[in-house]
Amino acid sequence: MADRADIETLIARTASGDRVAFSALYAATSAKLFGVILRIVSTRSEAEETLQEVYVRVWHTAGRYDADCLSPMTWLITSARNAAIDRRRRTIHGIEAPLPDPLSDTAPGPEAQAIDASDRPRLTACFDELAPDRAGAMRRAYLEGKTYAELAAQYGVPLNTMRTWLRQSLLRLRECLAR
Amino acid sequence: MSGRPYWDEDRDEDKVLAGEYALGLLPPDEAAGFAARLGENAALRALVRQWTEDFTGLSDLVEPQVPPVRVHQAIEARIFSGPARGPLGLFRRVGVPMLTAAALILALFLGIDHGPSGVHPPVAPVYRAEIEATDGGLYVAAAYDAGAGEFYVERRAGAARPGRVLELWLIEGDGPPVSLGVLPEAARARLPVAEPLRARLEGGILALSDEPSGGSPDRSPTGDVLAVGPLGTP
Repeated sequence: MADRADIETLIARTASGDRVAFSALYAATSAKLFGVILRIVSTRSEAEETLQEVYVRVWHTAGRYDADCLSPMTWLITSARNAAIDRRRRTIHGIEAPLPDPLSDTAPGPEAQAIDASDRPRLTACFDELAPDRAGAMRRAYLEGKTYAELAAQYGVPLNTMRTWLRQSLLRLRECLAR
Repeated sequence: MSGRPYWDEDRDEDKVLAGEYALGLLPPDEAAGFAARLGENAALRALVRQWTEDFTGLSDLVEPQVPPVRVHQAIEARIFSGPARGPLGLFRRVGVPMLTAAALILALFLGIDHGPSGVHPPVAPVYRAEIEATDGGLYVAAAYDAGAGEFYVERRAGAARPGRVLELWLIEGDGPPVSLGVLPEAARARLPVAEPLRARLEGGILALSDEPSGGSPDRSPTGDVLAVGPLGTP
């Protein structure tokens, strides 16, 4: 697996129109992105179409990567997740909820230091400090793109209760991550 | 529960909203309102970015899944929209009647060998790649036969330049390209894959370079890289 610097180099070369670099970027990252998308959309063919959309977009927007201040895999995974959620909500609910666009925020913020993979155990530890059902609901929201309504139904609680759960959990998580 | 109220500061509220926004949980009207605030608020954007980085850690739980080769082909077709790509477009360009083209594709996919060369495609390849030049002038299909430890390659369009040869390379991870051998003049061939390389094919890409007769005199490609294609599942 290519490391962070490799992926950044491939994105930079893709931005300059290097097709071999784009193919190498696809080869190095598409399995992870496909895995992320498959968890969110309901069929394999939708996942394949979503993956296409994501890489077509990467080709056209690679030049804006630097300004985003996200680590390269976060940028790619977030693009994949958002595209998959857009598709999921279009097909399942017929609604459109705007999702954060990792490509749209161009002004770098002072706190926007991208974390390294070495910080991942801390995330796991902080999730472990949450009540198991709340941690589970939060994981589902991220990994499966579930809405508050879906999570409420799944956990058998009113929608407002689910929202309160997750809002409290988000604050606890942020406090834990900042420790 | 601690004794203090949760929402005692606007800052806390923004942290939470940024988290809900990053997760895609905000109802559409609230998400639109939050997005409007983002434009003029760098601190708020930083909060969203921080959550985005943090949550992406959860994707470590996701098992990578190698996509089928057709996805990469479709992406290339959408980006580099020249003449129609893929086997049908190519066969149309070289003027082979459609029925023959379909039969050839079936033969490759089903592993039925109608060719005269005696070189058989694998019945159940583990990986496939479509190695195609930008202009469609060179097109080679490859399929990995895990049982034999060999790549079956079939040149379907184009050929080596006069007096030159085509050399197949594996690019994996951040290592230098590794030669898989020179393609013979025959359209179909099997190229053995060295034992240590066999476990490193997933996520790799295949590339064809233009080399002098006998192949690259160096350990890496010396001529133009003419075509590339990532390895995917069948």
